[in-house]
Amino acid sequence: MRVAIIGGGIVGLATAYNLAKDGVDVVVFERKYLLYGASGRNSGGITAMLNNERLIEMAKKSMKIYDEVQSEIGFNFLYRKDGYIKVASTENDLNKLKEEMNLQKRMGVKVKQIDANEVKDFIPDFNADAVIGGVYGEGGVIFPWPVIWGYAKGCRELGVDVKDYTTVEEIVVKDRAIDGVKANGEFFKVDFIVNAAGAWSNEISRMAGVELNNKIIKEEICVTESLKPYLDPYLLDVTTGIYLSQSMRGEIVGGIVGNEVESIDVKGSLDFLVKYAKRAVELIPKLKGLCILRQWAGVYDEGKDIPNISTTNVKGFIQANGFGKFGMCLAPAAAIEVTRLIRKT
Amino acid sequence: MKDRKIVCRCEDLTEEDIIHAIEEGYDDLESLKRYTGATSGPCQGKGCLMHVIRILCAKTGKSPDEVGVTTQRQPVNPVPLYLLAKGDEK
Ligand SMILES: Cc1cc2nc3c(=O)[nH]c(=O)nc-3n(C[C@H](O)[C@H](O)[C@H](O)COP(=O)(O)OP(=O)(O)OC[C@H]3O[C@@H](n4cnc5c(N)ncnc54)[C@H](O)[C@@H]3O)c2cc1C
Ligand code: FES
Repeated sequence: MRVAIIGGGIVGLATAYNLAKDGVDVVVFERKYLLYGASGRNSGGITAMLNNERLIEMAKKSMKIYDEVQSEIGFNFLYRKDGYIKVASTENDLNKLKEEMNLQKRMGVKVKQIDANEVKDFIPDFNADAVIGGVYGEGGVIFPWPVIWGYAKGCRELGVDVKDYTTVEEIVVKDRAIDGVKANGEFFKVDFIVNAAGAWSNEISRMAGVELNNKIIKEEICVTESLKPYLDPYLLDVTTGIYLSQSMRGEIVGGIVGNEVESIDVKGSLDFLVKYAKRAVELIPKLKGLCILRQWAGVYDEGKDIPNISTTNVKGFIQANGFGKFGMCLAPAAAIEVTRLIRKT
Repeated sequence: MKDRKIVCRCEDLTEEDIIHAIEEGYDDLESLKRYTGATSGPCQGKGCLMHVIRILCAKTGKSPDEVGVTTQRQPVNPVPLYLLAKGDEK
């Protein structure tokens, strides 16, 4: 059995890794360099404080898998488990957080409610007047780049052919079943194709004659100069969508939760920086003297199901996309689901 | 002490560090700069990008055109948050 995976992001590589461990012959196609997609552009926030049972379960499993895979592969993901805080500045948002917290607690996630002042226990110079309350739970920050490099290394050691700078141009379907795939002009005969192309999944699906219609979301993000590590948890303000955390390299990485766009574009805007700066400085006034060094944007896809792991009416064509803003939280466990699905098809 | 040829002053990287990364397989410019951290310091590569490209060309036998340059991202110079926070929102 031979499987082609389209997309060298976290979903594609984690799936390849699991399939290869199962003894499957796998080839991964990545159009650009690894890290080109959302998996190389995100903020690495890891949490199981999500809003439905399937997602919570998947995120809990993924957190464990990250630990196992780091030592299996021998690669440090710079995974820092110093907690995850969500704050709100409207009653409505705070109530939603509480409701979700109850579900999370029932499912065994360690999370508790905190008032505005208690945020200071975790972030010393936090401005308690900027919010009305929040929740604090287990989770933290992972550095997405070593995650991708690590999985890629693990894949290669298991014999996976990880082809970067290789674009899938055509999917060949015969009698409603996958025959193979054409990439950089070369034909590869395969039994399965996994569509793990993130924001490009709609295009890939169309190549197989399958309608997908995932939403495309663009999200902007920026990074400051480095500080001595001092900011422990990942902070998300659900009311404004602004989030920030400190990476192991000391930079403050922060962004604003993205919006749906018509077509893929990864340009950064000044408007974003202004919005981000205003709220970040309001939340943690001390940050105001820090300089922004670099900004960028990424695109991800959100399925009707988050994530979309399914077979299609083309035999052998498997969807593994639509992860929305939680791909880093979910992919390691999701990859096991994809592997099982292929195994039983 | 043996010679240390500094390539990236901001991130304190030597020529050896860069060569080592290329040998590890991070042999395209986009991967190389991310893996080593070169070009990600306060000067955002103004001081080192050309050196990194030169080393990569020498090591891989590619021409500077083939190696290419990386995307230059805003801001051109570091900007403090308090200044940005004074900007107008759309
Ligand atoms: C700014 C930002 C912040 C985020 N923050 C978080 C966070 O804190 N926590 C979290 O869990 N998630 C976060 N996310 C979401 C997360 O990054 C995504 O859910 C996840 O990376 C999706 O992974 P993927 O593998 O599906 O897609 P991608 O990483 O986008 O990979 C898809 C790949 O497919 C390739 N491709 C496309 N077309 C072709 C083709 N024809 N041939 C070959 N290859 C092709 C692309 O080049 C791309 O590399 C964030 C995203 C962004 C943009
Ligand atoms: S010298 Fe390399 S980033 Fe400044």
